[in-house]
Amino acid sequence: MMRASHANVYDSARARRLLITEIGHFWEFRGLLKLLITRDITVRYKRSFLGVWWTLLNPLLFTAVMWMVFSQIFRFEIEDPVPFIVYLLAGVLIVTYFAQGVIAAGSSIVNSSGVLTKVYVPPEIFALSAAAAAAVNFLISLLPLFAIQLILGVGIPWTALLVPLPALAMLGLVTGIGLLVAAAAVYFYDVLDLTGVFVNLISYLTPTFWPISIVPDRLQIFVQLNPIYSYLLVFRNFVYLGQFPPWYVFAVMIGTSVGALVLGVWVFSRAWKNLVVLL
Amino acid sequence: MASEPVVELRGVSLAYRLAHNRTGSFKQFLISAVKRQVRYERLWALSGISFDVRPGEVFAVIGPNGAGKSTLMKVIARVLPPTDGRVIVRGSVAPMIELGAGFNGELTAAENIVLYGALLGREPDFMRQRIHPIAQWAELQEFLDVPIRSYSTGMLARLGFSVATDVAPQLLIVDEVLSVGDEGFQRKSKARIEEIMSKGTSVVLVSHSLDTVRAMAHRAMWLDHGEMKMLGAPEEVVGAYERVA
Repeated sequence: MMRASHANVYDSARARRLLITEIGHFWEFRGLLKLLITRDITVRYKRSFLGVWWTLLNPLLFTAVMWMVFSQIFRFEIEDPVPFIVYLLAGVLIVTYFAQGVIAAGSSIVNSSGVLTKVYVPPEIFALSAAAAAAVNFLISLLPLFAIQLILGVGIPWTALLVPLPALAMLGLVTGIGLLVAAAAVYFYDVLDLTGVFVNLISYLTPTFWPISIVPDRLQIFVQLNPIYSYLLVFRNFVYLGQFPPWYVFAVMIGTSVGALVLGVWVFSRAWKNLVVLL
Repeated sequence: MASEPVVELRGVSLAYRLAHNRTGSFKQFLISAVKRQVRYERLWALSGISFDVRPGEVFAVIGPNGAGKSTLMKVIARVLPPTDGRVIVRGSVAPMIELGAGFNGELTAAENIVLYGALLGREPDFMRQRIHPIAQWAELQEFLDVPIRSYSTGMLARLGFSVATDVAPQLLIVDEVLSVGDEGFQRKSKARIEEIMSKGTSVVLVSHSLDTVRAMAHRAMWLDHGEMKMLGAPEEVVGAYERVA
C-alpha cells in the first residue's frame, strides 16, 4: 500500500544527487504518473461539448485549411510519392506534438505549484505527465492519418509499426526542453509567452507543407539544424513511405532526444532548491 | 529501529532568495542584468534549528505569525530542501499542511480520492479500494460522483482530512488543520488524530490554540523569527510564551 522507498528514509544530505536515482524515482511514482496523464487528457476536455474529440479535430481542421491554401492556391511539388494531404498531415501531427508538449510541460510546474509546495512529489513527474499526455494525443491522432492513407490508396506499410520509436524519442525531447522552460518559467512569467513564439518559429522552419528542395542550398543548413526535422523525416519514412531513413537522420533524432532529456533533468534537479522557494 | 528518532534536524537553515526590483519578467531581467542592477537578498526564514522527534512523540511548534512555523513543517515534509544543515525523516509521512492540495475541481470526489492519495505516496490500486471507507468517514457518500468544484469549503476539508488520515503513517505533520470545519467535525477529527497517535505515530503539529498544545503535546518548541527560542515541556514553553505574547 505505501510505496516501499517512500516509506523509507529521507536524508536531505543525500537527496537529489545522481541522475540514476532520479530515474529510479520516476519508476517508483509510475502509478501517480499514469493518473496524472489521464487527468491531463480528460480534464482538458471535460467541460467541452466535443470532449476528447477535440484531439482529433484540432489537427484535422488545421490540415484542412492548410490543404486548401497550399494545394489549391500555392502549389508545391513535394518529393514524397504520396498525395499532398498525407505529406501535410504527417507534418502537422509531428509539429503539433512538439508544440503542445513543450508548452504543456513548460507550464506544468507553475501550474502545479499548489501541490508542489505542500506535498513531496518529484516535480519532474508533472512535466513528464504533461509531455506524455501530448504523446497520447499524437498517437490518437494517427488514426485519421491512417484512415486518409487507406482512402487515398497509399496504404499502411509494415514500418508503421515502428512509429512508436520517433514518438518515444519526441517524448524525450519534449520533456527535456519542457523542464528547461519550466525552470525558467518559475523565475519569469513571460518565458511561457516567449516559448510560444519560439515553438511557432520552429514549426514554420519544419517542412510540414513545403518540400525541403525549395530551400536554397546555402540556407539548407538551417533546416537541417532544426532538430524536429529529423523526427519528421523518420516519422514520414515509417508511416507512409515504408522505408528506413539514412542512419545519420536517425542518429540526430536519438542524440537530440537523449541529450535534451539528460540536460533538462540535470539542470532542473539542480535548480529545484532555488525554484521551490519562489513557487 | 524503534529507538531511532523519526525526525532529526541538525542546524537547519532555510533562506528565501529575493531579487531586488524583481518584476518577474525575463525582458526586465535582461535589461537590469545589462545595467548590472540585479541584486539578491537572502531572507532567513529558519536559522540553525536542531531537534529530534522520537517514535510516538507529539511535538508542538508555537510562535507568532511569520515565525517560520509553516516553513519548518514544509522542510520536514521534504517540500523545501534546507539551505544549510541536514534533515532526516525515517518512515512514511502524511503531511497535512493544506488539506486537499492537489484536488482538481473538474474531477469527481472518487477520482480525487485516488489522485490525492497517490500524491501522498499511496498506490492508486490501494486507494481505489479505500474510496468508500474514506467517503463514509467524510460523510460524503452521496456526492462521490459529483465534480468537486460544486463542493463547499467544509466538504473539501472533510474529504482532504479523511484521505490524509486514512492510513496511519509513521509521521503526521499537522499545520493548523485541526481548526477547520464546524464543532462536530473538529471533535471527530481530533478523535481520529488521537486514534492514529495511539498506534505509535509521531506527530509534529503547529497550532495557535495553546490549550490544544498543552493537552496533546509531549514537548513543545517556541519559534520566533526563524530561531528556536525555547524547547521543553509544553507547560513551561507555553507558559513562557504566554508571558511575552
